[in-house]
Amino acid sequence: MEDRRKLLNHFLAALAYRTQKALREAPENFGSFRVNDGVRTPAELVRHMASVLGYARTFFVGGHYWPEPLASFDEEVERFHEMLGSLAQHLRNGDALLEGMTEERLLQGPFSDAMTHAGQLALLRRLAGAPVPPENFIVAEIREERLGPDQAKPISPDKVWPEAPDGWKP
Amino acid sequence: MTDATKRDLLRHTVATLAYRGGKAVSNAPEGFNEFRLNDGTRTPAQILAHIGDLLDWALSIAKGKQTWHNSTPLPWDQETARFFTALESFDSYLASNEPLGAAEEKLFQGPIADALTHVGQIAMLRRIAGGPVKGENYYRAEIESGKVGPEQSTRRTEFD
Repeated sequence: MEDRRKLLNHFLAALAYRTQKALREAPENFGSFRVNDGVRTPAELVRHMASVLGYARTFFVGGHYWPEPLASFDEEVERFHEMLGSLAQHLRNGDALLEGMTEERLLQGPFSDAMTHAGQLALLRRLAGAPVPPENFIVAEIREERLGPDQAKPISPDKVWPEAPDGWKP
Repeated sequence: MTDATKRDLLRHTVATLAYRGGKAVSNAPEGFNEFRLNDGTRTPAQILAHIGDLLDWALSIAKGKQTWHNSTPLPWDQETARFFTALESFDSYLASNEPLGAAEEKLFQGPIADALTHVGQIAMLRRIAGGPVKGENYYRAEIESGKVGPEQSTRRTEFD
């Protein structure tokens, strides 16, 4: 696989890892948590993340992609991971990009969009009273072929967490 | 293709961070830096300072001598300036022929991806604070490797 595409696939793997970190052990009903009018719920965010990645995939397959809301948060998350896998496969295959799209524009547009939304999921966890424990991501087990919901646990969780909720233990 | 290509794409990610980060922090409502929804959340000023720390960390990793420092948030304009200065320092190193102390993948999955997630958080706080950042089709944005300062293109495909 060409080097830029390898790094893009690694980007998708990091996105899978960070999204699952933001969702793992989330409170019940977290998917419908709405902090404020006009701010997406986690379920809406995950659907939007699938949507922007689906938009990226249209530059391989053509057409349009508008995902309809699904019945449950779990299904939204599953669809998101399926989209990650599908997009990664196009990158691995070396499939041509359509309409003048480039690897750089995929990165600066839909891929980075999705990453910023993964951060928003983590923020919503904190606002929902169940923050995500910090870790040293540089040593995290992030692998190009691991794009599904089953992601590795942190290798180097922080031992000190000043903003930890009551009862947290490293 | 050589590793130089991967390094180039990492530089493009840094330029993306400059563009998106710059948009998230500019024209913020008065007092936004201290906006806090509840006791357990960071203020935008704390998040932006953390991004600066992440970029300093990225540079130290790239140079092969990893160091971490928790900084105290500066006034918003100064912290914004620090953000761009840190981006420029890191990008300059990436642009040089000096060896990298860690693989591009590691630099990406650690500090750079982290910084992108925090830019998303600042954007969400902007919306909650009543000063939302306009949406944009970023794939059309004029983002160029090496363009990592506060002067970014204003030719944008924004949504109303």
